[in-house]
Amino acid sequence: MAAWIKIYKKEMKDAIRDRRSVMAALSYSIGTPLIMCILFIAMIDKFSSPSALYLTIENSQQAPELMRHLQSKDIFSKDALPEGKSAKAITLTIDDGYLYAMQHGELATLSITADFSNDNLRSSIRRLQRELRSFSREVAALRLIVRGVSPEVIRVLDVQAKDTAKPEAKGGFIIGVAIFMMIYAVFISGMNLAIDTSAGERERNSLALMLSLPIRVSDLVVGKLLAVSSFALFGLCMILLVSKIAYAYVPWQELGANVIIDGRFALYMLLFSFPLALLAASMQLFVSFMAKTFKEAQSYLTIVLILPMGMAMVTGYDIGPDMLRWLPVSGQQKALMEVVKGNALPWDSLLMATAITLLLTGLLVGALMKLLSSEKTVFSL
Amino acid sequence: MIEVHNLSKKIADVQALDQLSFSAGDGKITGLLGPNGAGKTTCLRTLFNLLDADDGWAKVDGINVKESPLKAKQSLGLFPDPFGLYERLSPREYIQYFAELNGLASSAASAACDEVIERLQMSDIADRRCKGFSQGQRMKTALAQAIVHKPQNIVLDEPTRGLDVMSTRTLRDLLLALKADGHCILFSSHVMQEVSALCDEVVVMAAGRAIAQGSPAELCERTGQDSLEEAFISLIGSDEGIAA
Repeated sequence: MAAWIKIYKKEMKDAIRDRRSVMAALSYSIGTPLIMCILFIAMIDKFSSPSALYLTIENSQQAPELMRHLQSKDIFSKDALPEGKSAKAITLTIDDGYLYAMQHGELATLSITADFSNDNLRSSIRRLQRELRSFSREVAALRLIVRGVSPEVIRVLDVQAKDTAKPEAKGGFIIGVAIFMMIYAVFISGMNLAIDTSAGERERNSLALMLSLPIRVSDLVVGKLLAVSSFALFGLCMILLVSKIAYAYVPWQELGANVIIDGRFALYMLLFSFPLALLAASMQLFVSFMAKTFKEAQSYLTIVLILPMGMAMVTGYDIGPDMLRWLPVSGQQKALMEVVKGNALPWDSLLMATAITLLLTGLLVGALMKLLSSEKTVFSL
Repeated sequence: MIEVHNLSKKIADVQALDQLSFSAGDGKITGLLGPNGAGKTTCLRTLFNLLDADDGWAKVDGINVKESPLKAKQSLGLFPDPFGLYERLSPREYIQYFAELNGLASSAASAACDEVIERLQMSDIADRRCKGFSQGQRMKTALAQAIVHKPQNIVLDEPTRGLDVMSTRTLRDLLLALKADGHCILFSSHVMQEVSALCDEVVVMAAGRAIAQGSPAELCERTGQDSLEEAFISLIGSDEGIAA
């Protein structure tokens, strides 16, 4: 049996007995889909069924028709505020001459007073403006009809949007986030083991003993790399399983997105993430071997893990340059988003992203071997 | 057989080894005796090719360590300081792991593991995880790891540090038995009592150099002293860093 297999087997046995390593792999994989599930359901409540809007309306007796229109759209004066609800700090003031102007077909004035920079008010202000515009259009159409002019005269463009997106393709950002959270399991699940088997090994004083054995440094690196990758993939399998169960409870159709975790998706996820698991493991081992203690490695890795997170965020928001689809993490994430959307796989960018992932892994493994052959690193000279 | 010739090694600004030369023969216990900071551990690390010597060479059974590290390491066993145990493995798993990494096939490793557990009388702890072991139990596990593959040469770094009387006696009996079997045993120590009780040959080290090599009796004779301790002080010119 090759030495790296023996090392792999020992590392796995050791890691499975390490409650901290197992908990690290499981807590993210089990916790994240549940948190995402709650988050998505909360988003549905926020976006798909806006609650009644209460605001201050001054001089409302001037505009009974407008009041009726707003009420039909769930916008009320705060005088009608039910108990337990709160009114928004928006004031709609109806001009004293409003009624006269309306009756004489003149321009009627209203004003909205609010802090337009307040994020909490922004969507409510926009909603109020939208409803006022629609009322204005209705009255304008009636005024034209009264004057014997067809309202069609002032309509120049008839823009008809025909959405060719498949129902499952909508909500790209939500799909992006859901997929990234799964891919990120690869980075989180093996992290504790990576630290334990490198900085931990040094802290336990067993690193020099291992290196004094008649084995090649490459065997040591490969054995450890595969053990960390196995934990990373175990975390990924767990998150797929838990997501499959948890996401069944998300009313996706209301979000306009759909993340279906079926056999095909799971297979692609595991296949595309396998090189990422190797990359994550080699990166974490490299960083941890440079640290002298477990805690030092933990702080280094926390910073390093921002990198894949950032790449995925940029991909999810679709704000990054196009070249991101050729790079590790974002490349795989893009490809998996296409799988969820039911589109054809972007093989060219996926293969390139995979090749770059493997190339980086190879470079890191080479650097690791050099690191472990250096007396300066091994004995912290 | 371990031979070291003109070994030099500078670590940062310190000349840790300075043209160190000595040999440790088969069927003998050779002690590297020197005060703290004399370069004993540096010398042992160079023997395992963990440190790259600036000059000189080290040979294990005639094999140059730097030229053929894997081959040289195959006939070496290391009892390190500190022990470097894996706390979540049992001694049996730990010893078997090292036996296999030292080149034994799985079944042979298993048999060798049983044998060494029997020899060191550690059957009662063999299947318990190492976490929470006493210093004596840890010592036995580390020692078993060093000898399980029956290497011709066994290197021990400060082996009795922190051991109680019973553990020290177990270690001493085992080293004598290994010597009787014809193994070459090299250990570093700064404990005079241990060296005089065990060693056939003593290499006195100070500031990275071998000042003298010979049996304890020869060293006493050469310096005209009655005890090894006095001989040692007379050789290095100071008793700093030495435990009686």
